[in-house]
Amino acid sequence: MSDINLEKIDDFRWRIPKAYKPGMRVPGIIYCDEKLLKDIRQDKALEQVANVAFLPGIVNASLAMPDIHWGYGFPIGGVAATDPENGGVISPGGVGFDINCGVRMLKTNLQYEDVKDKLKDLTYALFSDIPSGVGSKGDIRVSAKEEQEILIKGAQWAVEKGYGTQDDLDCTEENGAMPGADPEAVSERAYERGKAQSGTLGSGNHFLEVQVIDQLYDRNACDALNLDLGQVTIMIHSGSRGFGYQVCEDYTRSMMSCLQKYNINVPDRQLASAPLKSDEGKAYLGAMKCAANYAWANRQCLMHLTRLTFEKIFNLAWQKLGMFLIYDVAHNIAKIEKHIVDGQEKTLCVHRKGATRSLPAGHPELPERYKKLGQPVIIPGDMGRNSYLLVGQDGAKETFFSCCHGAGRLKSRTAAARSINLDTLLKELESQGIIVKASGRGTIVEEAPQAYKNVNDVVSVVHNTGLAKRVCRMRPLGVIKG
Amino acid sequence: MKDKPYEVFEHTADIGIRVKGKDLKDLFRNAGLAVFAISTHKQFTRNKIHTSIIIKQKADNLEELFINWLNELLSLSSAKGLIFHGIKINKLAGNSLEALVVGSDIANYKVNTEIKAATFHELKIKQNDYGWLAEVILDV
Repeated sequence: MSDINLEKIDDFRWRIPKAYKPGMRVPGIIYCDEKLLKDIRQDKALEQVANVAFLPGIVNASLAMPDIHWGYGFPIGGVAATDPENGGVISPGGVGFDINCGVRMLKTNLQYEDVKDKLKDLTYALFSDIPSGVGSKGDIRVSAKEEQEILIKGAQWAVEKGYGTQDDLDCTEENGAMPGADPEAVSERAYERGKAQSGTLGSGNHFLEVQVIDQLYDRNACDALNLDLGQVTIMIHSGSRGFGYQVCEDYTRSMMSCLQKYNINVPDRQLASAPLKSDEGKAYLGAMKCAANYAWANRQCLMHLTRLTFEKIFNLAWQKLGMFLIYDVAHNIAKIEKHIVDGQEKTLCVHRKGATRSLPAGHPELPERYKKLGQPVIIPGDMGRNSYLLVGQDGAKETFFSCCHGAGRLKSRTAAARSINLDTLLKELESQGIIVKASGRGTIVEEAPQAYKNVNDVVSVVHNTGLAKRVCRMRPLGVIKG
Repeated sequence: MKDKPYEVFEHTADIGIRVKGKDLKDLFRNAGLAVFAISTHKQFTRNKIHTSIIIKQKADNLEELFINWLNELLSLSSAKGLIFHGIKINKLAGNSLEALVVGSDIANYKVNTEIKAATFHELKIKQNDYGWLAEVILDV
């Protein structure tokens, strides 16, 4: 529970003044409305927004998106940009253990009518063909040499193996590989944990969903993306698996000593960090990029397996089924980006911990096909309600072109497990036409819709603040959970 | 926590555990076992082999040693595909530790939750009338 005295800036913006805690270098800004704020105050997320404001070199403000909730170090839904020219640091806690956890969305040319009678078969086939669950191992096996290649080439490695096309890479943030990945900065243990997990979904909140578009908000944007009501789409949410967890752990451990070495004062050791210009900071960035690239390769492999399953069920090549990638976004990452600060272009390190990049139309980083439209921003909700496709807007300048990443948890896993009956939940979902398959019964309860905020409320805030614009809304049909 | 050496406490996104031990060795042992007890339960006997591993850890202070220890267990578990069910802390002094851990194949277990790592966020380790108490938040 938080009783921090917030200053209301407007209906969707709230400030934690710099004076709240001695040591804050900038204020905190939270994007939410009154309704969401009540939920946000239920845990310690606001305190974490204030803690992030301690980071050396932080620019403008410690930002929080409307899906913010209590994490460790950074809040989940936190954004912070640091300036390397002003002692700015990089913090593994600002990225998280699941480096480049992210989501991709692909369309099909199938209509709801085409899948409704096959939905059960399709969902069960996806569950059987796509390795999921804790410690799951994939059929896509790689040699030690290939693993190094994945870390450099990311999704391109998968495309070269025949698991996709150049078109997929054009529709992936960073084209599916961040330059500057340094395999030498990665520990043997990380290699060991990563070697068998390529092409696996993982567990917890990771999922694969077959969805249907149930609401259009922007007809022109939908036309540009060839999307319409009743059209079937697919969303894949996964990350860098054990490989990324190990990179984060290794560098959180080694950066503990940096706090004293570089005189960094933070109120939470999970915010351990090192100056971007230091050897430790550079090494983490090189290793983090390896994990990010691993995650992009992983999501590319997962999409490939999804396409194969659809081919099997519908007896048509995936190209004929129109299974083209709309976009793939990271939502746990730190990136070196150019931003305008006080009228001057600066190169900053933007930490997005549970936040999605949101570039407006015309941004030079956008692929040609999205130059006029803006970057697709993919916001998954929960397994019983909706997910959204948005596009980046100019208003996101004030958040270093960042937006929310999901609905945000409302209830703890233990509270969800205590209060939700699995059989009742499954019946409720089935009555809404939603089929769920999961490795663990516990996962379904922990990830129940009641455990999350209403994504419609969250998306409404980013739309109304101009961080991103609603394009269309989807509802789930078939859900695969780890 | 009357009978058990640990209990789970609420955290919005992750899981918190509160662990007790009659001394520091007992605290480290119980915390290590709790991490696997909350996330797995034995369901099958597909592989009867038990694997023993010696773990050595060093840190600058007790808190770091505690987190490093738990993370080494989680990391080894993931890398080797083992669930640890036996722990003997051989040495624990001067912020260093040596332990013998025994694990069996993950295939023998139903794994309910993947624990990614132990975190420093709101970590507490303190001495009380009973012995030692720790609170730690695990990223899941």
